[in-house]
Amino acid sequence: MATNTLAGTSLSMRSLTPQTQAFTSLSGRRSGLISSFGRKNVSFNLQPRQIRLQISCAAKPETVEKVCDIVKKQLAVSEGQTVTAESTFQKLGADSLDTVEIVMALEEAFGIAIEEESAQTITTVQEAADLIEDIIEKKSS
Amino acid sequence: MGSSNVKRFSGMQKQVLSLFRGFLRAARSKSEEERRKIESIVSQEFRRNAKSVDRKNFLYIEYLLRRGNKQLEQLRNPGITGLSSLQLHFSKTDSNAHSSIKG
Repeated sequence: MATNTLAGTSLSMRSLTPQTQAFTSLSGRRSGLISSFGRKNVSFNLQPRQIRLQISCAAKPETVEKVCDIVKKQLAVSEGQTVTAESTFQKLGADSLDTVEIVMALEEAFGIAIEEESAQTITTVQEAADLIEDIIEKKSS
Repeated sequence: MGSSNVKRFSGMQKQVLSLFRGFLRAARSKSEEERRKIESIVSQEFRRNAKSVDRKNFLYIEYLLRRGNKQLEQLRNPGITGLSSLQLHFSKTDSNAHSSIKG
């Protein structure tokens, strides 16, 4: 029985992986997913790539907006160019040094500390906002 | 989706970024005015080297990392309030940022 359910979860997880894009926009999925991998650490171990799921839960619009503002300011993005949740830092013209500066600015704006390891995985506004909410949540709990 | 591939950095690139982060962190502990100055000098210095230094020149990058880490250690000292940079135009590769103690 146990093996049965286990196979079931790893299957559904796998089907989610190719469409991270669709997944990030579904804010409703969040609680369901967290509880499902909380229960079965085994399937999590089987697929190392699933680690990305931890930070791909959708963040609140306010957070995304705040991150957008900071990114715009930091990169001196021109007025005409829009920054959205899907914008990658690279496309906005940021190099790795800019990304470090953005992360530092975000740390200050939200009053949090972002670990170096996770800071290096951030490539989009959405990912940054998700990570920030994750850290705030951990801090308050 | 192109955005989903995580950028992987080499060990050396990580060291450079971590040094950069260290400088920005150290700058936070200084006065507002000095902080802006430090940030602008540090970011200029890193960007200049990123452009001018050949990415395969490991020995030189290692040297720069060592030098940077030493400078960062000095900057972390609370007695040090600011950073000033000295441009040496006659030498092609070198413009040292000297930390200086300001009374």
